This record gives sequence, structure tokens and C-alpha cells, in this order.
Amino acid sequence: MRPRRLVTPWLLMAPALAVALIFHIVPFFRTVQLSFTDFRLASGGQYVGLENFGALATSDVFWLSAGNTLIYVVVAVPLLVTLPLLLAMLVQPKIPGMAFFRASFYTPVIASMVVVGLIWVFLLKERGPVNWLFQTLRIVQQPLPFLTDATLLLFSCILVTVWKGLGFYMVIYLTALANVPGELHEAAQMDGAGGIRRFFSVTIPSVRPTMLLVGVLSAIAAMKVYAEIFVIAGPTAGPGGQVRSMVFTIREVGSGFDGQVGYAAAMSLVLFVFTIGLTVALQKLSRENAEA
Amino acid sequence: MTLNRTRRTLLAGATATGLALALAGCGLEGVDTGSEASADELSTVEGEISFATLELSSNPDLAAYIEDTIAAFEEEYPGTEVEWIDVPFAGAQEKFAADAAAGNLPDVVNMNPNFAQPLEREGVFLDIDQADPELAAEYVEGAWKGFQVPGMEGTFGVPWYLTSEVTMYNAALYEAAGLDPDDAPETFAELYEDARAISEAGAGEFYGLHPALENRFMTDLAKIGVPLIDEDLVWTFNTPDAVEYVEGLAEMYQSGVFPADSLTQTLNDAKEGYQAGNVAMFPSGPNFLNGIEQNAPEVFANTRVAPQIAAEGEPVNMSVMGLLIPKTSENPGTALAFTKFITNAENQLAFSRVAPVLPSVTAALDDPFFQDDSDGTELSKAVKLSAEGLARAENLTPVQYDDQVKNAVLAKIQLALTGDLTAQEALDQAVEEANAITGGGE
Repeated sequence: MRPRRLVTPWLLMAPALAVALIFHIVPFFRTVQLSFTDFRLASGGQYVGLENFGALATSDVFWLSAGNTLIYVVVAVPLLVTLPLLLAMLVQPKIPGMAFFRASFYTPVIASMVVVGLIWVFLLKERGPVNWLFQTLRIVQQPLPFLTDATLLLFSCILVTVWKGLGFYMVIYLTALANVPGELHEAAQMDGAGGIRRFFSVTIPSVRPTMLLVGVLSAIAAMKVYAEIFVIAGPTAGPGGQVRSMVFTIREVGSGFDGQVGYAAAMSLVLFVFTIGLTVALQKLSRENAEA
Repeated sequence: MTLNRTRRTLLAGATATGLALALAGCGLEGVDTGSEASADELSTVEGEISFATLELSSNPDLAAYIEDTIAAFEEEYPGTEVEWIDVPFAGAQEKFAADAAAGNLPDVVNMNPNFAQPLEREGVFLDIDQADPELAAEYVEGAWKGFQVPGMEGTFGVPWYLTSEVTMYNAALYEAAGLDPDDAPETFAELYEDARAISEAGAGEFYGLHPALENRFMTDLAKIGVPLIDEDLVWTFNTPDAVEYVEGLAEMYQSGVFPADSLTQTLNDAKEGYQAGNVAMFPSGPNFLNGIEQNAPEVFANTRVAPQIAAEGEPVNMSVMGLLIPKTSENPGTALAFTKFITNAENQLAFSRVAPVLPSVTAALDDPFFQDDSDGTELSKAVKLSAEGLARAENLTPVQYDDQVKNAVLAKIQLALTGDLTAQEALDQAVEEANAITGGGE
């Protein structure tokens, strides 16, 4: 009886474990291994100790990539934590026609990032609709160089990431909002609390764990940003390569027959440590806030 | 509970250590280079081979052509069988790299010289000069050289099909700018002069030219005679001529001759611009004409073609696609026979009739098909012009100019165009970065 009890759960878990092992665990350890080598696909490699990490520390391209990734996280995450919550509150009421808006806001999530990126490239062109609108409303005299100025390019990419992520996080918030007890709002209302007061005193505390989840998920997504930059800023990552993210640089140096896979693996490992560090920091911050 | 936790920790630790140890044993070797085929093996034409092409099956006519050619080969050489695999261009390098590492490359692989070079350098492919010393004489010289590696003896692939660009231009936009559409630009100076006139007339609605740096920057430097890379594989393109050229590009970008967004755009945007009637000139291979006809019939009707532009005495550019035989092939004789068969004059001529590409064997180029444009169509004129250009054509893109080098170089040139760097600074930095990536000068 006992051996059977032991075998059955493992058998049930086997497919999932196999997938995890083959596609996640083994590649992770292989990345760790490769990060200590000068491996290239065509010529192979040798162990070089910490040489790759030393090269990263003195590489301007690496620090530029890390800096841009940090800007991405600092700008995109707060927006992705707050805007979808407001959007979720907007589409939460069960009134006729609201399903249409919920579906509309979710549509960008389903679309491929390449398609979304190309649409925004069209919108942000020098003679595109956004510049036309700004000029018509006399917000600007000259068209804004959204696609050729490094700073504007970075923020254009962030805008697209935020726009595409809104629907996904909105759905998460909708579930959280549905679980906020109605009595809390009623009680607050009876105590004379207005909409804004109830938002800060009832809604926010009730969805705080969800906000942490959204914060962590969006931070991880922001750390991994690639497609937006490739599509919007082009294969050089903007003029002078100034808009490059860490994943962009990892892919650039590591791909192809002659790609420096060992160096790219070392950078991936650093990105992994940054991501774990950020996740832990967010959790700690949230715990401290909750205790305060 | 504590015991369970300790056991779990131990189990996780043991698993991680086991995996780490197992992976430590994982090889760090590069590709499997196989061994040289013997004369006997090379003369044995039998057995099964696989044949990988790059994105050819999407065109039904081309797919039918490949299948028919394979059937004809199998008929001519009984006992042979060819399995055709068509690989999408995106991701092909990764697939072939994985295949090469495992020693599983298809017996005949379709690659361009840039693609093939890192593997050629590692000795993955059969040296065709050794396997069949007579073969080189049959092919266009510039194309044959495409599969040679600087500093190494031998030729590691057989050129298959070629494209050599012509200058396509929109006659309607020429007329709109008050230019004579029968007076096509013949020099870079005329090209840029026309581009300036058209962009001024377009006033933002249409432009004379898209710089398409991704595709043309390096080859244009070669066409004006700038030495790109020396024999020791040190990049050398920061010459006074190159500085003057980049200064010209920057002046044109800043004065609106090129579309503002073109700075960060790719070749695809240049193609789309031409097809949309927003850009007047587009240097490209004749095969692009089919695309214009399908996607933009009105622009096609206005399209004229003229010879490719290069400075006097300098070569024009051609793109080469070739077939390579890995030394790991179990039937190298069959692979070589098939490579010779599909690239022979008859089969290449049939290929060129299906797709507007040029053959790599000189015998096929003599066919009237490439000399006769009496039907008056721009397509046959383009085919004739590009075939004529082959005599002085070379694959001008150095094989070391891979995506990483290209992006590093163009990133600096973009800064020269915006005025953030001077042309000299941009070129010096571009050369420095390119050498750092490829190890030039080490």
C-alpha cells in the first residue's frame, strides 16, 4: 500500500516536472555554467572564471542597458499598479454594455507585441496621428521626434508596455475588487466617507495584496522588456543604441553562430539576480507598509 | 516537521548539486566538424540526403520547381533520395547552429556567405576546391569567392542564385518634382541631387530617397571605393572619403532630404515607403518588382529601372546564396552530385524563369533570357541590367559584418546623422567598436 501511495503522486506530477526540468531547470543551470565560459556556438569555449562578470562591470553598454531597464521599472511599474486599478473600478459596475469595454481594454493583451508595436510606430511617426493631433491642438509647433530622439523613444516604449499591460492587470484587479466585502463600503458610507475617502480607506487596503502581486509581475515583465524596443526603436535600439534594455543587449551579443553566449549568459545571470532582488524588495516594502 | 523541512532542503540541495554536476559534464565544444570525405566517398552517388533551403516553399511555383528538380535528380541517379526541408529565415541561424553542434546539419544547406562564415571558419564544410577542382571555372568569379574565408585555403560552398540590384524609381514622382523620368541617376551625386529635388517638391508628402542604412550603408561605402576591412581583418572604413560621404548623408538628413523617421527604420520601411508612393527611389534586386506589382499596381505602373550606381572603376554589389555540404554528411558524394545538379546551367535557368534571380553559372548567363528585354517590360529590363552588372559585381558586404557589428556601426552613424557626433568621430567610434566585436587587430 505504502509504495503505491508514494508512486501515484509522482506519476501525476511527472509530465509537469519533466517540462519544468527540460525547459526551465536545466537551461537555468546551463546558463549558470555558461556564464563562467567564453562559449560561442560555432567555436565552443573554455572556463574563464569570473572574467565575464569583470567585463560586464566595466562595460558602458551593460550599464546603459541596466540604467534603461531601471528607468523602465521605475516608470512603468507604478503606472501598471495604479492605472489598471482605476480602470477596473471604472468597468466594475454591472451595467449593460460594460462587458464591451472590459473586452476592449483586454484586446491589446491578446495582440502580439510586434503588431502593437507597429501600430504605435504608425501613430507616433513624425507625420502620424499623434503629432497631427498635438499640432492641431497647438500643444506643439513642430512634430515631436517620438521615434528618433533617445529620451522620447524610451518613453514611447514604456507607453506601449503600459498600454498593452493595462487589460491584463485590470482583470486581476477586477477579481480582487469583487472580493472586497460590500459591507465595508456601506459602513464607510454611513460614517460619511465620500468616494475618494472610501477608495483610500476601504478599496486600497482590501486590494493591497493584489497590488503587490501586480507590482511584482509588472516589475518582472519590465525587467524583461525586449520586443517593444526592437520594434519601436529599431535593431540598433535607437540612435546610438541609447534605448537598449538588458534583454536587448543579451540577445544582441548572444545570438548567431558567432554570438558571445558565455558573456550573454553572465548578463542573464545578473538580470536574474536583479529581478530576484527587486521582487524581495517589493515584498519587504509591502510588508513594512502593512505593518505600519 | 523540522525533520521534514531538513529532508526537503537536503533533497533540493542534492538535486541542484546533481544537476550542476551533470551540466558541468556538459560539453563546451563548438560545432561537430566531421572529417574530410575520401575520394571514394565523393564518387559514390547513392543513398539518402537531406536538402535545406531558406524560405523558398512559400512561393508555390518555386516549391514546384524544387520538387521537380529533386525528382529529376533522383531519376538521373537511381538509388538516391533527397528529402527537402524548407527553413524560415527567422531563426534559421539558431536551428543550423543547434544542428551543427549536434553534427546533424542537413547534407546540403542553403546559406548566404555571412551566415556561413563562422561555420566555414570552424571547418564544418567540405572544401569544394579540393572535392572538385574543375568546378570553380563554371561559376561567376565574384560569387565563388563569397564562400572563401580570409586567411584560409579553399572554398566552402557553391554559389546557387544571385541578385544584383538595380535603381528603381517612380516616374510619377520624378515628374511631380519637375525632373525628367527618362534621365535616371547614374552617379551618387546625381542620385542625391534628384533625391533633394524630389523631397523639396514633396514638402513632407513624399521624399526622394530613404537611406535604408541597414541595407546600404556599408555597401555604398564599398561602391565609392572605401576599403572596409584589411587582410588582417581589421576594419578600416574611417577614411577621408567615408567621412565626406557621412557628412553628405548627415547634411541630407538634417535638411529633410530623407524622412525624419528613417533614422531608426529598417529596409522594410524603405520598401513600404516606395510601395506606398512616399519614396521616389529604391535600389533593389529585380525580384522586388514582383512584390510591387502585387502590393502596389499603381506604383508598379510608374516604376522605371536603371543600372546600379557605383563610383567609376568600383565594383557593384550582388547578394549570393549558396549551397554548402557539411563534412558530417554520410553521403557526401550524393550531396556534391546534387549540389552540382541543382546549380547546373539548365536548372538555374529554369529557376530564373520562376523567380527573378540570376544564375551563378556563367553558361546560364549567356542565355538570351538574360540579354533580351525586347518585350519592353521593366522586369525584363531589370533582369538584363542586373545580369550585365554581374561582370563587375562582388559580394561587397564583408562576411564579418554580422548583425552585432552592423548594429554597433549603424548606431554611431545614426548619431552622425542627428549631429550628435561629427562624421569623423562617428566613423572612428564605429571602427573601434567593430574591431572590438570581431577581434580585429588582436
